[in-house]
Amino acid sequence: MNQRTETGWKPKPQHPSRDAAVLRAPKFMLSDHALPWLTPLLAMLLVFALYPFFYNIWLSMHEFVPRKRALEWVGGDNWVKLFADTRMWGALGVTLLYTAFCLIVQLVLGMGIALLLDSDDPGFGFLRGVLTLTLVIPPAITGMMFLLLEDAQFGVFTYALQQLGILGTSPILGNSSTALLGVMIADIWQWTPFMVLIFLAGLRAMPTEPFESALIDGASSWQIFRRLTLPMLGKVIAIAVLIRGIDLFRTFDYVYVMTSGGPGTATYTLSLYAWQQTFSFIKWGYGATISLFSLLVILIVANVFVALTKLRW
Amino acid sequence: MMSLSPTQRIIRALAAWLVVAIFAFPIYYWFTIAFRVEKEIFELPPLIFDWTFSGKSFEEVFGISFGYDNGAQQLAGGGNFYMMPRLWDSIVVAVCSTILAISIATLASYALSRMRFAGQHHFVFWILSTRMMPPVAVAIPMFFIYKQFGLLDTYTGIILVHALMNLPLAVLLLKSFFDDIPMEIDEAALIDGASRWLIFRKIVAPMAIGGIAATAVLCFIFSWTEFLFVLTLTQTGLKTVPVVASTFVTSTGTAWGNMAALGVGAMVPAFIFILMVQKNLVRGLTLGSLKQ
Repeated sequence: MNQRTETGWKPKPQHPSRDAAVLRAPKFMLSDHALPWLTPLLAMLLVFALYPFFYNIWLSMHEFVPRKRALEWVGGDNWVKLFADTRMWGALGVTLLYTAFCLIVQLVLGMGIALLLDSDDPGFGFLRGVLTLTLVIPPAITGMMFLLLEDAQFGVFTYALQQLGILGTSPILGNSSTALLGVMIADIWQWTPFMVLIFLAGLRAMPTEPFESALIDGASSWQIFRRLTLPMLGKVIAIAVLIRGIDLFRTFDYVYVMTSGGPGTATYTLSLYAWQQTFSFIKWGYGATISLFSLLVILIVANVFVALTKLRW
Repeated sequence: MMSLSPTQRIIRALAAWLVVAIFAFPIYYWFTIAFRVEKEIFELPPLIFDWTFSGKSFEEVFGISFGYDNGAQQLAGGGNFYMMPRLWDSIVVAVCSTILAISIATLASYALSRMRFAGQHHFVFWILSTRMMPPVAVAIPMFFIYKQFGLLDTYTGIILVHALMNLPLAVLLLKSFFDDIPMEIDEAALIDGASRWLIFRKIVAPMAIGGIAATAVLCFIFSWTEFLFVLTLTQTGLKTVPVVASTFVTSTGTAWGNMAALGVGAMVPAFIFILMVQKNLVRGLTLGSLKQ
């Protein structure tokens, strides 16, 4: 085997000793079966994904009793409590509103900017590069940036909006009717470029022939966009909606940094509510229950979405 | 696509520059906050262009001297805002978790790309599903598990959880890079008697090295920017930059200048990295499903 490999595959072995070392790799690694290759991944996912998952289920059936300083079995009580908890439904509502609003704005803005930047004129490559920068800023830092921009006293946005007469004297993040919008602006700013990049890749990969014949047939720009561009971008849009939708639904960083859920419960998302129940109010079991609930919602919705759009990986 | 008249092209260019300038403005403003004299942060109307330069925030945060305000001598290594150790924490966590995730993922994705087994489609989809898990649903049980095993507040704990977080991305993305390499190469080598391990080590992995590097960069960035796990699973032992920045907001006032300086320190390496992987960025952001 050694002999055949070395003569057959590599006519003049430069480092015979190194090749020999490779061939002395553990026997299971020489197999043609997938399992040994997947073992490290499976071990990692088993220990760090499945075990916490089942531990979470176990936790959701217990509750911490401060008097006894111990977890106590409560069975399905946490789940009963969950469905009767108006603040949880409020948090779910905020999360869904946040997800839907940001997703729609990012899709529309992203598509518009992608169409605008889809050009080979000088300078456009640079502009596309600049847009990617927002994607790598830690979301917690983005939260700080917008905390400063939206500050009630010296924020640039506050000042500009006040000068334009749109905003009164009430602070953006301190008012329950505008706080969520204030947080969403940070998300929209950071992740619209994500949509732009994905749509640009889709636009640039399109064949030109259908567009040429549509032009010859006298189609208007809107008709071309509606009947050609959009349908051809179908898969791209579906992927963008799936990935962004998942990330929006589990949003935590922005609300934690910018408002901590306040004022009142105006910006409580499901993730933040679960986290605070666990770590601020020491309701370990209930926090785990909420987090499991959000996991279930996201898995069901995402799986239905993948099935409907027939996405393949 | 459509041919535009010169006027239309100029209008388009102006609109494009304007839109990008709007998106770049918060970053620009944040950089000026990091470098301006402290009292000018609170000026009304806000100073956009005519601010005064000061290196004081940077000196305090990074313990380096620009020779301004005599700040560095007293503060280097000692001040409340000296953040070099936290920057080091961030680097250690990001580098180690990236190495771990990439080593596990290259092996797995080679197998997923080259070998066929029962339920493979479901397995790939299961990996994708782990990407959908809300981090909070992992962080809560992980906190109690780590407490039991003494992994709270340790590098090991954070590195493992960041590697886990990046595994779905790394596996799916690397699989797409391996899928780009023709299967005939493997088959020819197999016929010549090479083992799978040899083919992986000597042929396929070197051919995919660009893709592996791009994946590593993305894993690094996601670990670098991660917030929730570090917030939950550390107390005092280590803190990464995004988490420590959030502690600058206090009831007595926010140290905006220092926070901005730290933020700039966190952004610049990420900016450099992202510009390195422009070519594979869309593929990375879509977990390998869209190619540029």
